[in-house]
Amino acid sequence: MVTDQRVAPEVSTMSANDAGRAFPLRRIIANQKVRDTLRALIYFSPALIIFALFTYIPFFRALFLSLNVTDNAGEPARFNGLNYYIRILGLDGRPQYMQSMLLSFQFALMVVPLSIVFGLGLAMLASVRLRFIHAFRTIFTSSISVSLASASVIWVLIFSPATKTTQWIIDLLRINAPSLLGSASTAMAAVALVTIWSGLGFNFIITLAGVQAIPQDLYESASIDGASGWSSFRWITLPLLSPTLLFLAVVNTIGSLQAFTQFQVLFRGEGPEGATNVYTLLNFKEFWYDNRYGFASAMAIVLFVVLLLLTLFQYGVLNRRVHYS
Amino acid sequence: MTITLPLNTTRSRPPAHVEGKGLHRPVWRTALYYALLIGMAILLLFPLLFSFSLAVQGPTVAPKLVPDLTRMDLGIFANVIQQRPIVLRWIFNSFLVSSAVTLGVLVTSSLAAYALSGWNFPGKALLLFFTLGTLMIPFEATLIPNYLTISAWQWKDTFQGLIVPFLASGFGIFLMRQYFLTIPKDLYEAAVVDGASRLRYLRSILLPLSRPALATLAVYTFLSTWNQYYWPLLITNADEMRTTQVGITIFRDFEVQVFNTQMAATLIVLLPTLLLLVVGQRQLIRGLTSGALKG
Repeated sequence: MVTDQRVAPEVSTMSANDAGRAFPLRRIIANQKVRDTLRALIYFSPALIIFALFTYIPFFRALFLSLNVTDNAGEPARFNGLNYYIRILGLDGRPQYMQSMLLSFQFALMVVPLSIVFGLGLAMLASVRLRFIHAFRTIFTSSISVSLASASVIWVLIFSPATKTTQWIIDLLRINAPSLLGSASTAMAAVALVTIWSGLGFNFIITLAGVQAIPQDLYESASIDGASGWSSFRWITLPLLSPTLLFLAVVNTIGSLQAFTQFQVLFRGEGPEGATNVYTLLNFKEFWYDNRYGFASAMAIVLFVVLLLLTLFQYGVLNRRVHYS
Repeated sequence: MTITLPLNTTRSRPPAHVEGKGLHRPVWRTALYYALLIGMAILLLFPLLFSFSLAVQGPTVAPKLVPDLTRMDLGIFANVIQQRPIVLRWIFNSFLVSSAVTLGVLVTSSLAAYALSGWNFPGKALLLFFTLGTLMIPFEATLIPNYLTISAWQWKDTFQGLIVPFLASGFGIFLMRQYFLTIPKDLYEAAVVDGASRLRYLRSILLPLSRPALATLAVYTFLSTWNQYYWPLLITNADEMRTTQVGITIFRDFEVQVFNTQMAATLIVLLPTLLLLVVGQRQLIRGLTSGALKG
C-alpha cells in the first residue's frame, strides 16, 4: 500500500501576483476553479458511482449490519452492539472462530514461505542465458492463466484414489485414508500444494522481474573480486531482491488468508473432521447457508482489520530489514 | 487488497544474467541447466498434462497416468461440446462478461485517470484517496451487502449483475494515471493552441500514446474476470447463466465418475486464458509488476 507521492508538474495558468491584484480577476479564478472541479467530477463520475455503489456504501453497510441481528432479507431486525465481535474474538469463552482464524494462519505459514522459495529458485534458474529460455519462462508462468477453480477441479482427480497418482505418498506416510484430501492430517497440506502450484507462475514472474532489475556490473565486479556463485547470490541478489520478496510475502499472506475457492471446490464445502475449516469457509457458511448476514458481516470486518494490521506490520517491521537501492 | 510493488519497472535495461559468463560455460553445466529446466517444466505442467491424459483415455474409471499413445481419443473435445452444449453457453457467458468488464474498466479508468493527472482542482487528493482506498478494502468486506443489493435489484442470474459491480477498478485508474503522468505536458499545451478541447486531447492524443498501458490493463482485467469464481457462484443459479469457472465445478458434480469429459471440458475452458498468456505475456507481466490482485 504505497501512496504515490509524485505530483504532476502542474501548469499554472495565472501567477499568484495576477490573482491578488484585482477583485474581478479573483472571481474569474474562482470560476475557473469551479469549472475545473466540475469537469474533473464529470470525468471521474463513472468510476466514482461504481466505487460508491459497490465498494464504499457496501463497506459501511457491512459495518452497520455487523452491529445488528438481521432478518432473512438482510435488514437489521435488532441492535446487537458489539456482541458479534465479542463472539468472533472468542471473548465469551468459545474460541471456535479464533481457532478457524488460527487455521487460516497455519495455512498461510504452509503456503507463503514455500511459494517464495520456489518462485526464487525458478527465477534463478530461468535467468541463466540459454537458448529457448523464453519458452521455459512462459511455461513457468503458465499457472497464472489457470484459475484456482479449474486448477482445483484437476487436482481433485490427481488426489482421487481412482487415478492412484498420489497413492505412493499415502503408502509412504502410512495414512489411513483413501486420499490425501480425505485425511485430517494431510488435507491442509494437500490444499497448500494446490495453492502453491497455482501461485507459482505469479511468484516466479515477479521474482524474475526483480532479478533482472539488478545491475549486471555488480556481479561483474564481485566476480573480479573472486566471489563465488553462492556469495554473489547471498550478498548481491538476495539483498537487492528483498523489496520484491517483501512484496511477495505481503501479497501471498493476504491471498492465503482470503483463500476460499480451492477449499470450496476441493472439498465441496467441508473437509475431513473440520481440519480445513478456515476462517473464510466459516464466513461463507454463516452467510450463505445460515443467512446470518449481520454475523457474517462482522466476520468479514474482522478479516479486513486483520489483513490491514498484518500489511501495516509487514511493511512497518520488515521494511527496516529491506534494502532499497 | 492490492499493494504496489516497490520495483523500478520503468528502468529498462538489458536483462542481467546471474550466469553472465555464458560463453565460457562448460558443456556439462549447460546440460545440467537444460535437465533442470526440462524437469521443472514437466513438474509445473504436470496438472495440465495429467488432465489431457485423462481426457483422451475414454470413459474409463481407472485411468492410467500416461495414455496409450496409439489409442488416444482426441474426438473427446468435440464430443463434450456436442453432448453438453451448455459448455459453449458458459464460454459465451464468460466471454461476454469479461469483454464488457474489460471495455468498461478501460473507459472508466482512462476518464478518471485523466482527471487525476490532467489539471489541478480542489479535492484532487481526495479523489486519489478514494481510488487507492478501494484497494485496501478486501472483497469479502463488501460481499454480503453487494449480494443483498443485487438480490434487491433482481439482478441475480443477469449479465448486468455479473458485469456492473466490476466496471471500475482502483488498480486500473492508478495504472493509467501513472502512465499519463509520463506523457509531456507540452503536448497538451500544443493541442490547446491548436484549438483542441480536453476531451479531444484525451481521445486523439493521450489515449493513442497510452496504448501499452491500455493493453496491459486489458489483458489483466480480462484474465482476472474470466477466472472469477466467488461472485458468479453467488449470483447465478440458472445453468445457462453460469460462467465457465462455476460451470466447470458444477460439471464435476454431475459427472463424478466420468473423468474424460470432465477433464476435456476443463481444458476447453482453460484454452482462452492460456492463449491470452502466450499472446499477451509482456502486457500481463507489466501489469503484474505494477501491482497485483489475485482472485
